[in-house]
Amino acid sequence: MLWKNTYNEFIKILAKPRSYIGLAALTLLIVIILFAMKADGKMYISFVTASFEQTLSFNGNVLNGNLIAFIILQMLIVHIPLLVALVTGDLLSGEAAMGTLRMLLTKPISRTQVVLSKLIAAAVYTLILVLWMGFLALLVGRWVFGTGDLIVLNSDGLVILNYTDVLWRYGLAFLVAYLALMTISTLSLAFSAFADNSIGPIVSTMAVIILFTIIGSLDVSVFDTIKPWLFTTHMASWRSFFNDPVPWSAIYKSIWILLAHIILFVSVAIFKFQRKDITS
Amino acid sequence: MEHHPIIEVKGLQKYFGAFEAVKDVNFTVNKGDVFGFLGPNGAGKSTTMRCMLSLIKPNAGQIRLFGKDLQTERNTILARVGSIVEKPDFYKYLSAQKNLEIFARISGASVDKRSILATLDFVGLAGREKDKVGGFSHGMRQRLGIAQTLLHQPDLIVLDEPTTGLDPQGIIEVRDLILRLKNEQLKTVILSSHQLAEIELVANRMVIINRGQTVIEGTVADLMNAQQTLLNIEFSQESSAAAAQVIAQRFPGSEVQVVSPKTLQLQLEKQHIASLNSHLVNAGFEIVALEPKRKLEDFFIQMTQS
Amino acid sequence: MKITLLFAFVFSFFTFLAQDANQIVKAVRLKLELVNDYTVDIHVKAQVPMIKIDEVDAKIYYKQPNLMKVESKGIAILPKQGMGELNAFLTNEKAYTCALNGTKMIGDVKTAVVSVLPLTENSDVILVKLWIDTQRDLILKSQITSKSNGTLDVDYFYGDQAKYGLPYKMVFTIDVKKFKLPKSVAADLHQNKKKNNAKDGPQTGTIVMQMRNYKVNQGIPNSKFKSN
Repeated sequence: MLWKNTYNEFIKILAKPRSYIGLAALTLLIVIILFAMKADGKMYISFVTASFEQTLSFNGNVLNGNLIAFIILQMLIVHIPLLVALVTGDLLSGEAAMGTLRMLLTKPISRTQVVLSKLIAAAVYTLILVLWMGFLALLVGRWVFGTGDLIVLNSDGLVILNYTDVLWRYGLAFLVAYLALMTISTLSLAFSAFADNSIGPIVSTMAVIILFTIIGSLDVSVFDTIKPWLFTTHMASWRSFFNDPVPWSAIYKSIWILLAHIILFVSVAIFKFQRKDITS
Repeated sequence: MEHHPIIEVKGLQKYFGAFEAVKDVNFTVNKGDVFGFLGPNGAGKSTTMRCMLSLIKPNAGQIRLFGKDLQTERNTILARVGSIVEKPDFYKYLSAQKNLEIFARISGASVDKRSILATLDFVGLAGREKDKVGGFSHGMRQRLGIAQTLLHQPDLIVLDEPTTGLDPQGIIEVRDLILRLKNEQLKTVILSSHQLAEIELVANRMVIINRGQTVIEGTVADLMNAQQTLLNIEFSQESSAAAAQVIAQRFPGSEVQVVSPKTLQLQLEKQHIASLNSHLVNAGFEIVALEPKRKLEDFFIQMTQS
Repeated sequence: MKITLLFAFVFSFFTFLAQDANQIVKAVRLKLELVNDYTVDIHVKAQVPMIKIDEVDAKIYYKQPNLMKVESKGIAILPKQGMGELNAFLTNEKAYTCALNGTKMIGDVKTAVVSVLPLTENSDVILVKLWIDTQRDLILKSQITSKSNGTLDVDYFYGDQAKYGLPYKMVFTIDVKKFKLPKSVAADLHQNKKKNNAKDGPQTGTIVMQMRNYKVNQGIPNSKFKSN
C-alpha cells in the first residue's frame, strides 16, 4: 500500500503546476547567472582576489565551469529551500485544503503510510531539484566556460583546487546539500501535518530558516551554545568539501545533525498526523 | 431478513476542547439496510460519521463494523467501506478517470480502465472520463463521488449528506442511485440527512440524534406510521382536568397530560379518535380544537426545537 | 703572504671602483637584450599565507621589449612584478640612475650591490636593488620596492642559459601584509573565528619557479600574446 500511494503521490506532483515552478525558477536563475558571468565574470572574480592581485597574478582559466558551479551553488542554496517548501509544505495541508484528505484517509491505508509515501515523493522531488541544479550548474557551466582549477574563498584564505580534484568534491557536496534540503522538506512536511492550508507551512518553514539563520549569524555569545545545533548552521556544510584538507569530522558532525533533524521532523509529522482529527 | 449487524455504535463520545460534539450516540445498522441517520444541523451526525471512518478519534465508546473493532482492525474494515464525507472532493487538476485510478489504487481495487469506465457509466458520467474534475458541476462531482465509493466493491457505503447543495433534479438522481445500490448491488447503505423527507423516501431503518445523543431508533415504517398518535385537545372552558379523568377511565394507558386549564395532550391509537370525540361531547365538554400530531415529522421538529 | 693578500684585496677593490655602477647595469642589460624572445616550461610551487595551491606546470612566452604571456591549464599564481617588468624597466636607460652600494657575498660569489632609482616621479617603483655577479654579468638577487606592492625579493639561480642571463630557478619572497579577505564572501562554516587577514600569520610568502626547456630566439609571432 505504501508504494501504491507513493505512485499516487508522484502522479499528483507531476500534475500540479506548482511542481514546475521550482524547476523553472531554478533554470531561469541559473541561466541568468551563467549569462551574467559570461558578460561580467571577471569583475566578480576580481572582487574576491582584489587584495592579492596587487602582488600576485592569477594565470590560467580562472573563470571556468567549476567556479561557475560553485558560485551558483553558493547563491542558490539560500533560495532553493523556498522552492522545495513550495511543494513539500503543500503535501499534507494542500489535501486538507482541497478536501481530498478526507477521501484519502477513509481508504484502507494507515496514516503513517500516507506520511511516508509523501515523504518518499518529497525526497524524490527534492532530489530532482538538486540533480537539475547540478546538471545546469556543473555540466552547462563547464560546457559554456570550460573546465579548470577551482578557486574558492574560505574564511582563512584562498584554496585553489586542481581540476582533476574537483568532481568528487562536487559529488559529495551535492549529496550533503541534498541532505540539507531534505531537512527543509521534512520540516515543511511536519508543518504541513499541523495545518489545513498550504500557505501556512511554506511561510512557517521560511520563517524558521530566516530566524535560525539570523541567530546563527549574530555574533552574540548567548547564542554560542545553540548555534552548533541549529540545522541552518549545517546547511552550508557542502562547502567544506572545497577545503583542503577536507574537514571530515566537521562534515560528519553536520551530516549527523542534519539526519537527526530529518528523523525528528518526520517523527513529528507522523506523530501529529496520526492523532489529527480530520475536520476539514 | 437475517439481522447481521454491519455497524454497531455504542456510547460514542467526542469532545472538541470544551465543546461536546457527541455525548452518547448508539445505533445498529444491519446487513442490507438503507439506514437513515437523521438529526438537525449540529446534532453530531458528521462527527459520528467521521468517527465511523476513523477520521476522528472518539473520546469514549465503541465502534464495530462487520463485527470488528475499528480501532484495531481499521484497514481491514475500511477495505470493505466506500464513503463520501461531507462532499466529495477530488484532485481538480486531474481527470475523472485519473482521480478514480488514484482512489482505486489505495482502496485495494483493480485499476483497470474497463472497471473504471463501467463505474463511471453506472453513475451516469460515461464519456466524461478524460475531463478535468475542476470543470465538473456539483452534481457531477457528487456522482463521481458515488462512483469512487463503488470502485472496490465495498459491502457498506457511507454517505454523509449526499444531497446537500444539489438541485431538485440532482437530488432525484442521487436518491435513485442509492436505491439502485440497494436493489441492484445489494449494498448496505448508511446516509445522514437533516431532512426527514429525504430519509423517509429511501431508508428502511433510521436513528434520530439530537445534541449529540440518540433520541430514537427503529424501522422507518414503525416510526412513521406509528398508530400511537399524539392528540392535542383544546376546550372552550377551563375543563381540561375534568376531561382528563373521563379520558383516563375510558382509555386507560393513554397517558393524558394536562397542559393548561384549557388544553391537554394524550397518546391514542388512530382508530379511537372518533369515539373519544363523541365520548367527550356526550359528557358535556365543549371542544374547540382536536389536533392529531401523528407524524414523526412533528416529533422531529418538536424534538429539534426544544 | 700577508702582502700578497693585501695586494689582491686592494687590487680587486680598485678594479671594482673603476667600474661605474651604470656600467655594471648596462652590461647586465646588454646580456639580457641578447634575448629577443623565449619560451620556457615552468614549474611553480607557491607557499603564500592564506593561499592554498598545488604545484603547477605552465609555459611562459616572452618577447622584447615587454610582451609576456603565461599559458596554464590550471591556475598558476605568479608574482605580479619581477618577471618581465624588471627587464622592461632596465631597458629604458634614461628612466633611472644607478649607484653602487658596495659588495656582498652571495654564497661564494662576490656581488656588487647596485641601487637603481627611477627618475620619473609618478613611477610605481620606488627603489630597485640589484646584487650583480660582475664576473658573469648576472643578477643574483633583486629587491623591488614599489608603492603598491611593498617589497619583493627575488633570488636567481643560473645554469645552461646563463649566457642569456636566463635563470633555471627563481625564488620570489613576497610581502603579504596587504592581503585581506572580503568578509562578506568568506561565509564558510567550520573555520569561522580564525584569523581574517595576514597580520597574525607570517608576513611573507615564497614562490619557487623552476624553468626547463628554454627555447631562445626562435621567433614568436606577436599574435601569440593577444589575450583571448
